[in-house]
Amino acid sequence: MKQPPPQPHESAIALTRRGFLGALAGSAATATVGAAPAPPSRSNPYEYKVDHLFKTDPKHLLYDTHGTLRLPVSDGRRVAVGPENQIWVSAGKTLLIFTSGLEKLREIQALDVIRALAVDADGTVYVAVKDHVEVFDPQGRRREPWNIPAANTWFTGIAVAEKDVFAADARNRVVLRYDKSGRLLGRLGEKDTSRKIPGLIVPSPFLDVEVAPDGLLRVTNPGRHLVETYTFDGSLVGSWGKTSMGVEGFCGCCNPINIAMLSDGRCITCEKGIPRVKRYSAKGEFEGVVVGPESFPEGLRTGAVFNKWDGSMAGVDAATDRQGRVLVLDQASNTLRIMVPKKPAATT
Amino acid sequence: MRETARTAAMAGLGVLVGGIALKTGASHTVWQIDPYKCSWCGLCATACVLQPSAVKCVQIYPMCGYCKLCTGYFEPEPNALNTAAENQLCPTGAIKRRALEDPYFEYSIEEELCIGCAKCVKGCTLFGNGSFHLQIRHDRCVNCNECSIAVVCPAQAISRVPADQPYKFKSREHHA
Ligand code: SF4
Ligand code: SF4
Ligand code: SF4
Repeated sequence: MKQPPPQPHESAIALTRRGFLGALAGSAATATVGAAPAPPSRSNPYEYKVDHLFKTDPKHLLYDTHGTLRLPVSDGRRVAVGPENQIWVSAGKTLLIFTSGLEKLREIQALDVIRALAVDADGTVYVAVKDHVEVFDPQGRRREPWNIPAANTWFTGIAVAEKDVFAADARNRVVLRYDKSGRLLGRLGEKDTSRKIPGLIVPSPFLDVEVAPDGLLRVTNPGRHLVETYTFDGSLVGSWGKTSMGVEGFCGCCNPINIAMLSDGRCITCEKGIPRVKRYSAKGEFEGVVVGPESFPEGLRTGAVFNKWDGSMAGVDAATDRQGRVLVLDQASNTLRIMVPKKPAATT
Repeated sequence: MRETARTAAMAGLGVLVGGIALKTGASHTVWQIDPYKCSWCGLCATACVLQPSAVKCVQIYPMCGYCKLCTGYFEPEPNALNTAAENQLCPTGAIKRRALEDPYFEYSIEEELCIGCAKCVKGCTLFGNGSFHLQIRHDRCVNCNECSIAVVCPAQAISRVPADQPYKFKSREHHA
């Protein structure tokens, strides 16, 4: 299927794999300082060629940028949509609340860096910080934080339903189900052969959960490159996702990192490594790209901007609003983009 | 399991550190790569006065995802996720893949085979957890007055460091 990439300067270096292995026998022990080597070629015979993966075929691009907002507070990380289509963004320890037209309304301060947020229909917001959940009422007043028993919790996702709150704990590879007072009701996603649940694989701290319009949960299984569907009581009812570096799949150690649901059940996925935001049908068929890797800063493509390992710097997050827009938060440039579906080409 | 592996790796390195003083003479400094600056250009394999290079890939086990699809091990679009040579991106087959409990795999570097080409480092850093990175190994490096790699390194990632702290390993703590 695939041919090894050509190595144009291999002969100049004379280090083909076989040749190298032969030459190596016993060489390490006797390695000596040679004469000063000729100035090395700047070309790289060992180049790992992936540039093509960072470009999107225009035919896959489904959305246009409708507006952008550079966040007024640094460390923008997560985005959610609240009542009246308000846009809620977390930036460090701050919650910023905007109108759907990106006018700032107010802000709320959390006690710690916010890793995920979910806004209830009445404007109550559930904020996951590393190891506990803070709750703010619709007026922005802090309620009693939930008492989460110490278990090395590392929350990276949160979702709210009519009566339940689901918090994704990446470190323990589990989604915890709570009632709205913070009482633990159940655990989802853990390996359980009797229930045919293979278990969540979370190689790095990215695990997300959403409540879908069909009344079921969608949970990322990033180490398996899947989006899984669970009932609230933890039965696994399906999954989709394909391991591939191609645009239709997920690649790297852990993708997708974050998801969002459209009102018709389609799913928006965010990826790191090859930073991209894509749309899948409700059945998990690849439909196209919301924002391609070429639209993100170089630093996001190399991870160079994130010297973080705390689960808060995922690179990209997304939410959807009732107009079907996709709100994309690019952490590298601390910018929120509003993406709208492309208009069909006019026919004459 | 991971801690054990890490301890084993670090113990090996600790032994190496002990020999550095012999080579550093009066300078008390040695050359080292800052893994957070390296841009994986490949010159570490070819610019060192030693062949094979004194630069080797290092695996930091606590940072590794133990992924089935390791992007530091496999070619970008492998035919299959197995150890067949055509699926491996390492030009010398220096990375060993060992199945652990499903679905995890351990990846380790056979240093005698590694030429420091950074191909795996790029794959691991771009798409994975970034646990693979390059270091100048001081049991091999002859501590040139002017490191030939540092002269050409496009990322200016190589500088002199105190001989009693000769390695700049990546760590989870750095990220936190
Ligand atoms: S020469 Fe510099 S940038 Fe290139 S591989 Fe070596 S340390 Fe990295
Ligand atoms: S890909 Fe290059 S740097 Fe990595 S183990 Fe193989 S020879 Fe060493
Ligand atoms: S100091 Fe000399 S031996 Fe050591 S890595 Fe640089 S060029 Fe190689």
